[in-house]
Amino acid sequence: MGYILEGLALNIVQALVLLAFAPLLAGIISKVKARLQKRQGASVLQEYFDLRKWWRKPVILTPYTSSIFILAPIVYFMTSFLAAAMVPGFLAGQLTISDAFVFVYILALGRFFMSLSSMDAATAFGGMGGAREIYISVLVEPAVMLAILINSLRYHTTTLSGMVIDYDGAYFTVSAALACVAFFLVILAENCRLPVDNPDTHLELTMIHEGMTLEYSGPLLALIHLGSMLKMMVFLTLFGALYLPLSVPLAVKILCCAVLIGVVEILNNKMRLFKVRVYMGAAIVLLLLAIIAE
Amino acid sequence: MDKLISPESLLAAAEQVYAQGQHPLTAMFGRDETAQGAGYAIYCCFELPEKKDICVVKAAFEPEGSLSYPSLTHAIPAAAWYEREIKDMFGLTAEGHPDLRPLVLHESYPEDFYPLRKSVRVNAKVRGERQFKMRTAKGQGLFEVPVGPIHAGIIEPGHFRFSQAGESMLQLDAKLFFTHRGLEKAVEGKTPAEALHIVERICGACSIANTWSFCQAAEKIAGAAVPRRAEIIRTLLSELERITNHVGDLGNMPAGVGFNPAISLGSRLKEQLMRLCEGIAGNRFLRGMIVPGGVRQDITQELIEEIHSTLDDVAEGVEDLAAMFREQENFQNRIRTTGIVRTKTAKDLAMVGVGARASGYAHDSRSDFAYGIYPELDFKPYTKTMGDVAARLLVRIGELSASFEMADKLLEMLENCQGMPLCADVEYCGGEAWGISESPRGSNFHFLALDGAGRIDRLFVRSASYPNWPALTIAVQGDIIPDFPLINKSFELCYACIDR
Repeated sequence: MGYILEGLALNIVQALVLLAFAPLLAGIISKVKARLQKRQGASVLQEYFDLRKWWRKPVILTPYTSSIFILAPIVYFMTSFLAAAMVPGFLAGQLTISDAFVFVYILALGRFFMSLSSMDAATAFGGMGGAREIYISVLVEPAVMLAILINSLRYHTTTLSGMVIDYDGAYFTVSAALACVAFFLVILAENCRLPVDNPDTHLELTMIHEGMTLEYSGPLLALIHLGSMLKMMVFLTLFGALYLPLSVPLAVKILCCAVLIGVVEILNNKMRLFKVRVYMGAAIVLLLLAIIAE
Repeated sequence: MDKLISPESLLAAAEQVYAQGQHPLTAMFGRDETAQGAGYAIYCCFELPEKKDICVVKAAFEPEGSLSYPSLTHAIPAAAWYEREIKDMFGLTAEGHPDLRPLVLHESYPEDFYPLRKSVRVNAKVRGERQFKMRTAKGQGLFEVPVGPIHAGIIEPGHFRFSQAGESMLQLDAKLFFTHRGLEKAVEGKTPAEALHIVERICGACSIANTWSFCQAAEKIAGAAVPRRAEIIRTLLSELERITNHVGDLGNMPAGVGFNPAISLGSRLKEQLMRLCEGIAGNRFLRGMIVPGGVRQDITQELIEEIHSTLDDVAEGVEDLAAMFREQENFQNRIRTTGIVRTKTAKDLAMVGVGARASGYAHDSRSDFAYGIYPELDFKPYTKTMGDVAARLLVRIGELSASFEMADKLLEMLENCQGMPLCADVEYCGGEAWGISESPRGSNFHFLALDGAGRIDRLFVRSASYPNWPALTIAVQGDIIPDFPLINKSFELCYACIDR
């Protein structure tokens, strides 16, 4: 019993650590993008300031919303937090509660609630954002499952911690390389980055993730943003642990990925909405090839 | 005025001049002549490109007579908005118009309020209620998306109502004129010199075009000849204004798709140009340069060199920008076949400027009319035929290189006519005349009527955005709604220009 509690505590500590650094990660990506545009850019701590600002503001609700509207940001944040506790990360001796399928569908639960809430206020932008989010998640889900299947086949397990790449250098297979590229494409789509969604647009008509958050204010908005930033952190951690065959510390891997995402976003522009299926199709084909190679 | 007719025969006379679209409708507007003992009048202006002239057809209403006339819209689709505006401003009804909803005056105006009638005071305060219905498509599974009038970016107000089938736009109705300022009314009773300050503030993007058209009209009435050096400076300023706006627009279009490096480069180049403008005119919008009779300030030798070096810099930057657009396949994919306006549509709506030329309609006042130094510059309109966002982008890039060349020639001409006079004396008398010039967005038309004392009786301003707004609502049909910001930016239409 004692070791279960101890392990659980470690999981929670890890989630808190990831949570604490998630806004910094988002700040670093923004900073990289700004510098590449020859702009000074906001401080890497800007996301913390924004969160503090939203936290102090009141929540304004339209009279047309139901309880889902308040529930959704909380569920969304909690699912990200749970995922952060499950992801194989920094600390040894964690509990292996981290079944891959549970992990994927916990994140899907959060997305489901966000899509519900986007329709709740009955605004056109929210509904459009929600519909697009579902459209993209339908495409992303098989890709994530395939990506997990590869490691699952290799290590004969479905727990995330069992799938962690061994760093002994004997691990540079075609399959791993393909999965690495494909999972990076998935990260961009799953976290609403360019070229799938534009995280810093003000154009309501093209929004996906931002469209769903338009009606939110105050602490609820802060929760959604924190949840998305944490989700990004979780995905990069997972990417580093499972798919990036380099024997460097996880934190360095995550940092490199953040810089890479900034660069990719600068080199790209948003694609036509209906082209996303071609993009995700490419990721899925890469993953299928990786499975065959495996 | 070339033809004076009765309102009943307006349709027949207009159709005859229009000649199935050979002579496009430049503008159509009302006038209140009750103070002179006559009635209301409607002016129809048609372009005669082969004569480099405009044919003005005037329909004079009998005092106390009927206030309706046969609508031209079925024969000349471009008349649709003008007739609605005339109804709003003067209460003259176009019988048989397919869509006589209000255009300019929104819900908060009373029913029988016609602001441009002389009986309404310029500072009249009114309050009332009227209907302003948006046009929407109905059917199973269709829904509406209302956007604006207040937008997420810092832009002017406009309300867009999309009728959607999923992501596809079936129909778009735009409600504009939210901040109509009544400038045409405000200048009445002022001398052209006084009105000039208002005219050059109609719009920030085309202050040179507006003042130039206005001054052309005033100079025609006064019979003043503009000195050659002033004409060269005016032409140079006009090209500078075009370069500044085209560069700004090029930098704005990638913002519709989140193509960040191009946005940054575009805004840097535009800033460079606006600072150059500030060096020339003392303000970033080239205001205060053109006056009736000539120009107010000279462009000194030092400035000539500064213009040279800045334009060389910017020309290089524009090449980089064009290369960025060319090499970004994902960007090309977004702009090609998006927001198409066909040639027939462009001609029917009498589109102007970049929008017209990108649709294969070679309409450009710089070649259609002989004004400024353009006849000496051997200018040819730059056209593309696809009519999509890509075509409008390429037209801007093509026109920029033409403008850089022209600016070079103009600077050389300036060096060769040092010390020549800048401004002629202007003595006003009664009369009416039009002026036209090509603004960055297209032809800019002014009609000016002065009374015997040389004061303004009627000024009508038709900026380039006016005929192009209806084209935007057609261009978006069949595209998906996330493409709207991009299509909108490719037209870069101005709200202030129509809120005059």
